[in-house]
Amino acid sequence: MSAPLTASNVRITAGDRTLLSIDRLTVENGTLVGVLGPNGAGKTTLLRASLGLRPVQAGRIELLGADITRCGPAERARLRCRVGYVPQALVGHGLLPLTLREVVAIGCTGRAGLFRPLVAADWRSVDAWLERFGLTPYRDELYAHLSGGEQRRALLAAALVGNPELLLLDEPAAHLDLAAREQIVTLLSELHVERGLTTVLVCHELEVLPAACERVVLLAEGRIIADGLPATVLSGERVAALYGPGLRAVHAGGRHAVVPAVLAEAAPP
Amino acid sequence: MIDFGFWLPVALGGLLSGGSSGLLGVYVVGMRIPFLAVCVAHAALAGAIFGALAGLAAEHLTLPALTAAILTALALGRVADRSPAGDANVALGVLFSLSMGLAFLGLGLFPVLGRSDHDVRALLWGSLALCRWRDVGYMAVVAVALGLFVLLFGKELRALLFSREYAAAAGVRVGLVWALFLVLAAIALTVNFQTVGGLMIYSLVTNPAVAAALLVRGHARVIFVSVGLGAGVSLGGFLVAALTDLPTGATIVLLSSAWVGAAALWQRRRVRCRAS
Repeated sequence: MSAPLTASNVRITAGDRTLLSIDRLTVENGTLVGVLGPNGAGKTTLLRASLGLRPVQAGRIELLGADITRCGPAERARLRCRVGYVPQALVGHGLLPLTLREVVAIGCTGRAGLFRPLVAADWRSVDAWLERFGLTPYRDELYAHLSGGEQRRALLAAALVGNPELLLLDEPAAHLDLAAREQIVTLLSELHVERGLTTVLVCHELEVLPAACERVVLLAEGRIIADGLPATVLSGERVAALYGPGLRAVHAGGRHAVVPAVLAEAAPP
Repeated sequence: MIDFGFWLPVALGGLLSGGSSGLLGVYVVGMRIPFLAVCVAHAALAGAIFGALAGLAAEHLTLPALTAAILTALALGRVADRSPAGDANVALGVLFSLSMGLAFLGLGLFPVLGRSDHDVRALLWGSLALCRWRDVGYMAVVAVALGLFVLLFGKELRALLFSREYAAAAGVRVGLVWALFLVLAAIALTVNFQTVGGLMIYSLVTNPAVAAALLVRGHARVIFVSVGLGAGVSLGGFLVAALTDLPTGATIVLLSSAWVGAAALWQRRRVRCRAS
């Protein structure tokens, strides 16, 4: 099977600024790839461009075998139905009448097709994912009234309810407390083990990378500056260069973290 | 003695206008673009004014009004997500000022050309009491078209309510559904605006939907309550006005505003009860 996502010679600019400049990036089938980098590195732009939500000035992005930069609207919609996407943040406003269950159902709306209502099987799938993520007690609550952690889990459920072939996650644990963050990391690990789902995980914090993540792509100023095993890519020198000299990367049991250098030195080997 | 032959089309017109505006309002309020009603209504007015200036008779002004309203709605759809702020309200602000400018320019041309602006001034305020069976027919067609649209595209509209970009990422045909929604909204607003006037259409689109969102949760429930409230305040306002000799439009607007106030109080009370 061909790689679910390939970017070749992609250039995206905003005014005079280059947001993304990637010569070659391939996400192999069944892998979990972490995309890291400081603010403005181009991580979100990469995900949005991969879905055809952001126009590219040059190059091609092959999503599930088709060049999404040259697809018509109908073909693009068909491709997107095969992808699960969790955006950075969608909080909802006070007058948004949608319940949590209705928001999760958006994940299977495109796949159902035009002129066809969601059927009982679709709603059963929605309910199953709500159950899996511990959201059943809130299913009839307004989405806007949920906590940040519940909303993130709801968007993850929505991304999975359409039974995607590729998962694109944009900081799924942003703004969450430690317990909620660990819950997301555990879920991602379980999903990867269970389904072997190809996943691109954009994040700021190394702690969000599940143990199943065997490859990290490091972006800076729109370019790939390193690509490989997490412990290799996130070397002490690179972390210090990117985030500051007072920080160190710690790797243990497949998990990773960036801590102040003084803590890394004090910790037992 | 009530003259049913005169008042029945007025009551039915109010009912249909309130119901279809309530339905439209669920999406207009949910997508946070209530200014759409004002913007499209004024574009329709500008269209009607230039239609009148071109020599069209009063009964034929609907055509240029509809054309201007649809063009404005499509322009909004085209530029909304590309405006500098990436916000439909920014695009609405620009389009509203443009349509207002054109409308006032057109109004200013009537005396210059030595023509009467009586027909278009009547449009500016509208009058439910002048609603006749032909208007009721147009309103019924619009109400049925809106209902069918929501029935056919309900799940896509639900996704659009949440976020157009998120819906697009989920594989929803956002461009198609959004364009159809805007065209239908333009037609509904123009047809209703010509009978009930700009202010009343704005309140009928906004207030019942806001009250419904405060009272119930869930897409389908909000639709039912908003349509019911829209139709109810129109008919209720008309009856109150008829019994008290107050102006119909103002009574309906105030009644719909009172519902928003009551719904906000009820929601506040519900939140307090839950907390205690």
